[in-house]
Amino acid sequence: MLTQASPKALVCIQCGKCTGSCPESGKTLFNIRMLVRKKQFQAAVEESLPWYCTSCGACTIRCPRDVKPSEVIIEMRSALIENGSVPLALQKALENTFVQKNPWGRSRNKRAAWAEKLDFEVPHISATESKRLLFVCCIQAYDPRCMVIPVNVANILNKGGVEFGVLGEEEACCGNEIRRVGEFGLFEELQEENITNFKEYGVKEIIALSPHCMNALKKEYGDLGIKVVHYTELLAPMIKEGSIALKGSYNKKVIYHDPCFLGKQNGIFDEPRDILKSVEGLDFLEFSRSRENSMCCEGGGGRMFFEVEATYQRNAEVRTQEAVDKGAEVIATSCPFCVMTLEDPATEKGILVRELSEILTEVL
Amino acid sequence: MSYVLVVAEVRRGIFEERNLDSIGLCALLGKDAILLIPEGDYGMNEQLVNGLVRVKTEEALFLNPLNMVNILEKVMAARGKPDMIVFTNSASGIELASYAAGHFNLPVITDVNGYDKERGIFFKSYYSDKIFGEFRPSGEGTFIITVRSGSFKENAAGKGSAPPAEAIEDVAANAARTFVEYVEEEKTDVDITKAEFLLSLGRGIGNKDEIPDYEELAGLLKAVISGSRPVIDKLWLPKARQVGTSGKTVKPKVYLAMGISGAFQHIAGMKDSSCIIAVNKDPEAPIFQYAHYGIIADIHKVRDALKGILKG
Amino acid sequence: MNLIVFTKRVPATQEEELRITGEGKAVDLSKVPFKVNDWDNYSIEEAVRIVEKSGGAVTAVSIGDAESDEVLRRSIAMGAKDGFLIETGDVLHDPNARATLMQNFLKKENVPFDAIFTGVQSEDDQFGAVGGILAAKLGLPFVSMVIGIDATESDHLIVRRELEGGLQERVKVMLPCVVSIQTGINEPRYVSIMGVRKASKVERKVFKAAGYQENVVNKIEVVKWVYPPKKAGATILSGELDGMCKELLGILKEKGVYQ
Repeated sequence: MLTQASPKALVCIQCGKCTGSCPESGKTLFNIRMLVRKKQFQAAVEESLPWYCTSCGACTIRCPRDVKPSEVIIEMRSALIENGSVPLALQKALENTFVQKNPWGRSRNKRAAWAEKLDFEVPHISATESKRLLFVCCIQAYDPRCMVIPVNVANILNKGGVEFGVLGEEEACCGNEIRRVGEFGLFEELQEENITNFKEYGVKEIIALSPHCMNALKKEYGDLGIKVVHYTELLAPMIKEGSIALKGSYNKKVIYHDPCFLGKQNGIFDEPRDILKSVEGLDFLEFSRSRENSMCCEGGGGRMFFEVEATYQRNAEVRTQEAVDKGAEVIATSCPFCVMTLEDPATEKGILVRELSEILTEVL
Repeated sequence: MSYVLVVAEVRRGIFEERNLDSIGLCALLGKDAILLIPEGDYGMNEQLVNGLVRVKTEEALFLNPLNMVNILEKVMAARGKPDMIVFTNSASGIELASYAAGHFNLPVITDVNGYDKERGIFFKSYYSDKIFGEFRPSGEGTFIITVRSGSFKENAAGKGSAPPAEAIEDVAANAARTFVEYVEEEKTDVDITKAEFLLSLGRGIGNKDEIPDYEELAGLLKAVISGSRPVIDKLWLPKARQVGTSGKTVKPKVYLAMGISGAFQHIAGMKDSSCIIAVNKDPEAPIFQYAHYGIIADIHKVRDALKGILKG
Repeated sequence: MNLIVFTKRVPATQEEELRITGEGKAVDLSKVPFKVNDWDNYSIEEAVRIVEKSGGAVTAVSIGDAESDEVLRRSIAMGAKDGFLIETGDVLHDPNARATLMQNFLKKENVPFDAIFTGVQSEDDQFGAVGGILAAKLGLPFVSMVIGIDATESDHLIVRRELEGGLQERVKVMLPCVVSIQTGINEPRYVSIMGVRKASKVERKVFKAAGYQENVVNKIEVVKWVYPPKKAGATILSGELDGMCKELLGILKEKGVYQ
């Protein structure tokens, strides 16, 4: 059941805490405090502005009046969409999602192709006893760079004796980014399709590979009576108690980047850290802005699918530079969007970006 | 006397090279090719065909489907019905062919890319070029074909002698559709989605200073410059030239990618190009999985070698 | 202006691996998602823009099975006033047959129009012939590959045709006429799911194709479906640098982009 948040814009006291934490403010024309003000007065907003938001959620978390500015943005975007005024690249992503159930427009029939890289068969969720569903995520099902993540996690779970199944080609985009860009109708269609499948197959637990998927499934799909976790929440205790044994060592300086949807929005900070710190030889470093203050990589809010006018320095560049300055050799993170946005500048600076499962796979 | 009528594709005094495919198809079928062409010096090798029918009319009138059907009526009145009428699969060819098919109530198969002589079937592309349909006309009688560029031209050969020529006159100009003027491509704002030939630059170019040399190459090739995201992010090229999911989706005739590795988001923006040529020094670059042709070499060296050849 | 726009629901085959079944008898489209034909999307957008500017109405017409209603709802969501479905379970490969069906329908139902828009081609059969055949059968002037409509007057249109190599030609065509629309003529508006839901409230009239079959015959036949010859990934050019470059130029020439 979709509950549209009613942004209590009228209670906003214009304190500016939101703008103070916004990754886009100061360097772009986007000013979240001002946009909430405009909402209060029903004033017109320049059409390109709402598209800057990266949905990091910092504003909503810090607002002392629970205005939920990120929802204000979503509502503004929704109005633009109903008006037909959408950035072209985003239009394509939405149309692709409608036809093929993933924003990249790749064939739905190939959504399970990643599993062919495994040397064991992953059962369909209906064939499992535990009804534990591994929710793969669009970018990880199709993008060659990210496809290693489900492959790695499947291997790790298999080694750890954890039974799980997949929906395969029946999995549809979770809709997290779709909702963030304001296409409520499409979000509802995706949500309905996934929920119908969850119910039909009696899914009891969902392991999400992407923090974005986890967010949608956990917080925006309504009360399904299904436990939703990010895979790090499952693996961290398993590694601690030894059900997954780590053998080798990873002798590198690794700095951890908290993804917004895992960290500040869902409070999962320790599990990824525990996992990294349990790896022998790994020299763990922290960014100066970490945990709740982690710097958004700017991959959220639909910004994987479209560009905004930007002549400023990208956060990803700033972040990777800090990693270099701190002497890190690897930036570790646990979100595929962070991986993608950080990797370009990181490659130029000669530093690696690794998703947690990639590091784990090397020491299994 | 059995014959195939080849309707010439002409444009501003040029006899288009695509006509060789039409002529080649006739040779493959073993039939006489009679070329229908407006009068004027088109500089074509007339020995390629068995006969010429020159139409005493302006080129623009010839290319107007409303007049073409009258011209065809006159030809058929004089020579009898041809076995086949062939057009090139081009902006003018498809327009003329389809209108003629409707006017004369004839079968039409377009964009034919092959012919099986033994079985008398034409191959035609279907479903994003993933399937070929084996087509043939259902009955006897004249039918219309348009041929895909590059499909039959190697069959076109000189007959060794000058062909006989006739003339068609008194072609009335139909007022329901009239040619106004040609409009050249605007040189101001670039719209890479409208370009036929893109020379696309990736991170492999290394640095902004290399771009002017690539622009020179593009000028010599009459290609439009585009780029992948890293190049635009660095502001080496303007945003309007970005190809990829967050840039523009392009489908040019030729996409020449230089120094582009083929990241997924870039591929999504150009994978439907008719011909993808990739130049990259990394043989494992993913772009080679999507390209039709590849050159594994240093892109600067390829650029300089191409410029050397083009400048003579 | 009253505009009729033909719109088609087609399989989205670009990303799919297609299978031929029955030893060439059919292509298995059962697992392929369907969508509106790209060209028709541009046509509807162009038609809607014209009536938004100068008044009139757009009527969307689709030939297909009951599922084709989807493209009519979409057209209405974009601004078409009506949607008509000519329902048939048959797949009409022959553009002649399709055009004759259209001609019969327009005549019998007496649908008024100033112009008929079709897309240059459809993504599935890639024929590109229906518009021209229909125009000739109706005895109307025809312009194809239209990349811009520069002027709409009470008795004529001034349009631009997309030719090869970036060249365009400007053409004057009297009304009523048939125009086939090329992709890129405009930027079609986004149709939200909620917008399509709202459009469902407008009635789409269904007509049975059986009622318009006069002279609808297949003049061409498909003997078999086959796979194209296999491409083994990129053909990697080899040899000395100069030789490869010359070969590259040869390829460019063949593709028609370099003279």
